[in-house]
Amino acid sequence: MPGLVWFVIRRLFSALLVMLALSLAVYLVFYAIPTDPALLACGKPCTPDRLEQARHFMQLDQSTMQQYLNFLKGIVAGRSYGEGAAVLHCDAPCFGYSFPLARPVSTLIADRFPVTASIALGAAVLWLVIGVSLGVLAALNRGRLLDRLAVGFALIGVSTPSFLFGLLAILVFGFWLNMVPVNGYVPLTESPVDWAWHLVTPWLVLAVLQASSYIRLTRAQMLEELNLDHITTARAKGAGERRVVVTHGLRGALVPIITLFGLDLGGLLGGAILTEKVFSMQGLGDLLIDSVGNLDVAVVVGVTLFAAFLVILANLVVDIVHGALDPRVSHG
Amino acid sequence: MADPILEVHDLRVTFDTEGGLVPAVDGIDFAVAPGKTLAIVGESGSGKSVSSAAVMGILPSNAEVKGEVLLDGRELVGLPDDELRKIRGNDIALVFQDALSALNPYYTVGWQVAEAYRLHHAVSKKAAFKRAVELLDKVGIPDAARRAKSYPHEFSGGMRQRVVIAMALVNNPRVLIADEPTTALDVTVQAQIMQLLADVQEEFGTALVLISHDLGVVAEVADDVLVMYAGRAAERGTVRDLFYRAAHPYSLGLLGAMPRIDVPPKPRLTTIPGSPPSPGSIKTGCPFQPRCAYTERVGERCITERPELTPRPGEGDHEAACHLGRRPEVVS
Ligand SMILES: Nc1ncnc2c1ncn2[C@@H]1O[C@H](COP(=O)(O)OP(=O)(O)OP(=O)(O)O)[C@@H](O)[C@H]1O
Ligand SMILES: [Mg+2]
Repeated sequence: MPGLVWFVIRRLFSALLVMLALSLAVYLVFYAIPTDPALLACGKPCTPDRLEQARHFMQLDQSTMQQYLNFLKGIVAGRSYGEGAAVLHCDAPCFGYSFPLARPVSTLIADRFPVTASIALGAAVLWLVIGVSLGVLAALNRGRLLDRLAVGFALIGVSTPSFLFGLLAILVFGFWLNMVPVNGYVPLTESPVDWAWHLVTPWLVLAVLQASSYIRLTRAQMLEELNLDHITTARAKGAGERRVVVTHGLRGALVPIITLFGLDLGGLLGGAILTEKVFSMQGLGDLLIDSVGNLDVAVVVGVTLFAAFLVILANLVVDIVHGALDPRVSHG
Repeated sequence: MADPILEVHDLRVTFDTEGGLVPAVDGIDFAVAPGKTLAIVGESGSGKSVSSAAVMGILPSNAEVKGEVLLDGRELVGLPDDELRKIRGNDIALVFQDALSALNPYYTVGWQVAEAYRLHHAVSKKAAFKRAVELLDKVGIPDAARRAKSYPHEFSGGMRQRVVIAMALVNNPRVLIADEPTTALDVTVQAQIMQLLADVQEEFGTALVLISHDLGVVAEVADDVLVMYAGRAAERGTVRDLFYRAAHPYSLGLLGAMPRIDVPPKPRLTTIPGSPPSPGSIKTGCPFQPRCAYTERVGERCITERPELTPRPGEGDHEAACHLGRRPEVVS
């Protein structure tokens, strides 16, 4: 157990370094773009005087490096913009302040994350179930019709862009068949039924597309697993076919499947950009795209870091789960 | 001989492969009585493992099995799988050559032995685990109650083979098929495992089919011997028939290839020149003919006519499939 604790501490430390480097990179890239965020804040008519004022208030008159250091300092100690009566406080940990949206970045992320999480988690459960069951069935029926169908389905899934598939789904199920709502998000706390009803199409769209890689992975892993000697042992013991396939075969295929699942989910939780756009859901991905358009560097950095943090966290969880699932792996 | 518990008549196994039909086992007969040991010997690829898998009914689906397998007079070939499942691991159990790959890496050894018990007894998991610990203790695993919770990779090769034996014995099978149970082990451990099998046999009257490359072991433990060559029986008889009155040049070759401590070592170990044919590649004549030192003495017949098993002098049913009428003197 102490081995595991050290492992986690080491990994979190290196995660911190990665995120520092990442945030710096975002700052540098953003300030290399020859546009001025203060222009948007300055209003019309924008006199040079007012522009200068706005730049000073947003602390854009400082050097890029200085701005980056301010950002880091804000996380630890909080920061404030302007002075006197117009002063704007952002309490620690302050991940920046969005002037266009007039909210601290952390509040924005906290508002938007439940939307993205709802989309991602529901879809993830679906694609895991669909992908793994079809993958197992394909492996068991290798070369036969069911196998061909599953592999064909997987091929369509990987080669269809999600926005196209999403728009088609909206067209067919939303407008033509008028079965499901075409857009919008209802918080789970407000009405669980409406929440699920609004999410069902994006879930299915994402799940069908993502399931492809799970079908292929599960199929390949199962074909390999079912050839192993201990599968023959299970048969020789008198185990029935289902027990052989699930308890002995799938158990061995689980580690790579769970690894892929953790990484996919971690990535998606940082924002399902296209899906959110297509279904008009105000999640993190939607926030990120809007902020890029608004030159809202604080939000871009904040969302990017949050997404990166989720990916790193997913990696860590995957590694820990890997250790728990495979007795031959030990952390130390 | 007492009434055999397991009888095999004219067993044939053909694999349907991409390269055509492969007759891996081409008509063999054997029988083994309770408490007795039948050894099956022969070079790699002669069909020993395929024969034992055919008896267990655990061959892959591209294999076609013909002939009779009688367990206590009951025909097993053609029995539906759920009937066979009740027999596998319960009446006939298999001990595999490579204990590491035969065990499932994801489950504790106690769980795996308990599973073999639960598959044939309606008992609680706890009771089955207790039974597993009992068996692990019986096969000589020290501190069995604690070690039952360890995983296969945490055991030495010899201890792992004991686990596999415990798993095979947990239901007190009437027939035990051991496919090269000791080849992966060093000599002292080999002797311990063979002793363990002998003890079990004595205690429970288990019939043992021992597949082995090691004629030293065969001489020590077997009652009867079947020598296989290219999927057919080259010779069969009692252990004394084989060691004192071997009638087939191939058996003689095997005996010559065995290092002996009772005679002064020759400068080099005798081996049979050449290598065994792939199954089905020799259509006419004697399959051993290309490697046989006696062909010239017999002449044409070895090339044109396939020798059938014919009686030879000996203790009982000593038979050999060779055109040489009498026992050949050893040529070197
Ligand atoms: N699934 C299969 N498909 C096609 N051919 C097979 C299959 N399994 C075994 N064979 C063939 O059957 C023949 C006999 O193999 P088998 O494993 O019984 O040999 P063996 O006597 O046990 O050898 P060894 O001493 O190396 O264990 C071999 O030529 C092998 O190539
Ligand atoms: Mg073999």
